[in-house]
Amino acid sequence: MIIKRREFMKYCGAVAGAMGLSVSGLIKLQNILAAEGGPPVVWLQGQGCTGCSVSLLNSMYYMTIDELLINTIDLEFHATVMAGAGDLAVEAAEDAYENEGYILVVEGAIPTAENGEYCYLWPGTTALHAVETFSEKAAYILAVGTCAAFGGLVAGEPNPTEAVDVSKVVSKKQVINIPGCPAHPDWIVGTIAHLLINGKAPALDQYGRPQMFYRKTVHSACPNKQKFHDKAIFAQQLGEEGCLFKLGCAGTWTQADCPIRKWNSGAAGEFGDTWCIGGRNPCQGCTEPGFPDRVSPWYTLELPKVSV
Amino acid sequence: MIKIRIDPVTRIEGHLDIEVSVDNVDGIQQVIDAKSSATMFRGFEIILKERDPRDATIYTQRICGVCPVSHAMASTLNLESAFGVLPPDNGRILRNLVLGANFIMSHILHFYHLAALDYINTEGIVDKSPWLPRYITTDMVAGDTAEVLVGHYVQALEMRRKSHQMGAIFGAKLPCTSTFVPGGCTEVVTAEKISDFTTLLSELRGFIDNIYVTDVLAVAGLFEEYYQIGQGCGNLIAYGVFDLDAAGGSRLLSRGRYTNETIYDDVDPAQITEYVKFSRYTPGSGNLPPEDGETEPQIDKPNAYSWIKSPRYQDIVHEAGPLARMWINGDYRRGISVLDRIAARALECQKVAEAMEGWLLELDVGEPTYEYSEIPESATGIGLTEAPRGALGHWMEISDSKIYRYQVITPTAWNASPRDDFGNRGPIEEALIGTPVKDVEQPIELLRVVHSFDPCIACAVHLVSPEGQSLGKYRVS
Repeated sequence: MIIKRREFMKYCGAVAGAMGLSVSGLIKLQNILAAEGGPPVVWLQGQGCTGCSVSLLNSMYYMTIDELLINTIDLEFHATVMAGAGDLAVEAAEDAYENEGYILVVEGAIPTAENGEYCYLWPGTTALHAVETFSEKAAYILAVGTCAAFGGLVAGEPNPTEAVDVSKVVSKKQVINIPGCPAHPDWIVGTIAHLLINGKAPALDQYGRPQMFYRKTVHSACPNKQKFHDKAIFAQQLGEEGCLFKLGCAGTWTQADCPIRKWNSGAAGEFGDTWCIGGRNPCQGCTEPGFPDRVSPWYTLELPKVSV
Repeated sequence: MIKIRIDPVTRIEGHLDIEVSVDNVDGIQQVIDAKSSATMFRGFEIILKERDPRDATIYTQRICGVCPVSHAMASTLNLESAFGVLPPDNGRILRNLVLGANFIMSHILHFYHLAALDYINTEGIVDKSPWLPRYITTDMVAGDTAEVLVGHYVQALEMRRKSHQMGAIFGAKLPCTSTFVPGGCTEVVTAEKISDFTTLLSELRGFIDNIYVTDVLAVAGLFEEYYQIGQGCGNLIAYGVFDLDAAGGSRLLSRGRYTNETIYDDVDPAQITEYVKFSRYTPGSGNLPPEDGETEPQIDKPNAYSWIKSPRYQDIVHEAGPLARMWINGDYRRGISVLDRIAARALECQKVAEAMEGWLLELDVGEPTYEYSEIPESATGIGLTEAPRGALGHWMEISDSKIYRYQVITPTAWNASPRDDFGNRGPIEEALIGTPVKDVEQPIELLRVVHSFDPCIACAVHLVSPEGQSLGKYRVS
């Protein structure tokens, strides 16, 4: 069994259907992917937990992770999955830098205290320095997960390491934010597919998020809205039937397509109602810039600990 | 003497730097000294201060995206002990099922996607990034067997995805479940969900029994010398996991330890002490039990070389992980080595998956999964459980109904710890000693030893920090 680039129609169909692509868009994607070597991707991890990378491995809807890694992109550097270690790994990153034009993905926040020394990626190179440097020659910059997009939990009060999001470090270039704690694999893969097909970033909202995934509030498409909220049926305790608003649900002001897309499914609705509210837990507001301090304490309508 | 530095150690969670000294001993070039250190600091315990105690479950899961469910379990057990509440049986079982699903996910991920590339030469099979560049050594599996294993690597990507899909049926989403709360689980039990879960579990059991375990045995047969390599400290500790009753009286994998070749069926948390002589913390942060833990960094501390503390049980070095659990439970006692860790992990995966099938039958459709409780004005809590990679403990102190103190000791803190106050190396460091290194330019043996522990660095580090100095590009000297 020799693994090599295969015919692309199989998953192009799924991509096209999901994204409303024209036939010309499809041909363009095929041409891009048929070229020797896929688009290079450099994936750097700052102050993260690898949760967004693990989430990426769950990709299914646009394409599976093996399709993505074997047939679609050239993942030149990703510390969690790459075969090479030490020198070899660093050289792979440096080669990608020299060759330019890669998609730079950043997972995790960037600590700026102590000149960035709270996070080293390899000897002598802090996350701060690496993101500054690698952003220079990147074709696109993706901040994956809420830590990279907005600072996230790491930047929670009192933010001991002065952690910031990618756009604070990369001021001269566009940063596409793909928040979520973790980010949904479809949001990551769908955005990359869009870049490859259209040769430009998707339409973004005021927080730099692709509108195709983050346009509407969770509440607007929540099945509990019609069923409970609009009839003023509110759960007073966890485990009760009803709209979860009074238990601290952040769905009314959190923008993400979770109610429609669901999580961990091959297709929406397959194998149950797998998303936070489907599991009878309030939306935690994890795709918003105010996560965690604006939305916590969770499980209550109390005012946030920190005003944002 | 030659110094070898591998930084970054890849195919693990997090940022790890390994430095060893290699010399010729009895005609064999081997490791004579080893140091491991982590290079990332976030400060979760500091951020948790003064927050609503219930938020700990959401927060601590983000310590690690590979084993968030274990942090969810540790924090809910911690909160339940502080709140004085126990989950109904349904809630307990649902949490076990979600945790079990994440164990299966993590164990499959570890063998195929993190460890296996140390043993398989993928050249000619998949010649592109991220599988290139890489070390290629003559002892690696090549040819037809390698092709089969690479095929299983790809299949295992789907299987680990389905493990998460299965866990999400009762966990809402993975990584990072949102259904674990003190008092049980917010998700409810329906016949349809049981059926969906069973369908996926059956498929996964087929993969584990027929492919995963078989591949592990095949690799073990080809690398028998690794039953002698990476033996480490020889002491094992497990808090136990998968409560079979709400009070935690019995567990699928029992609590206990193996110290100086004797098995003990108890672990007394009061006997755990964290040392910091070689960690970059003030002396006042050391020699403390976790419930009184302090973490005040001291960057320029003389002789300190790590930002991981050294947890010790009765001042003795212990290794945590699937091998510790299986050993203490009496399921696996062949030996302690690189291959024993890998084999015990696979057999544990099989055991947990089998048990999960039984738990599904114990669920009562329509019965409660959650018991309400109030946040106490002041209380202390403890939550001991297991992550896929070993013993995980959370401790907390509540004051004025807020978190006053939150401390976490993770399995990788046990395993990747530096020397303690008595000069004893941590388990990974100790396991590296004596490891033969054939080619210092391709020190694959070191990766095999380190990977056998399945380290998770983001977990291990209370405060990992500045290296102090910039060491340039040179990594093999």
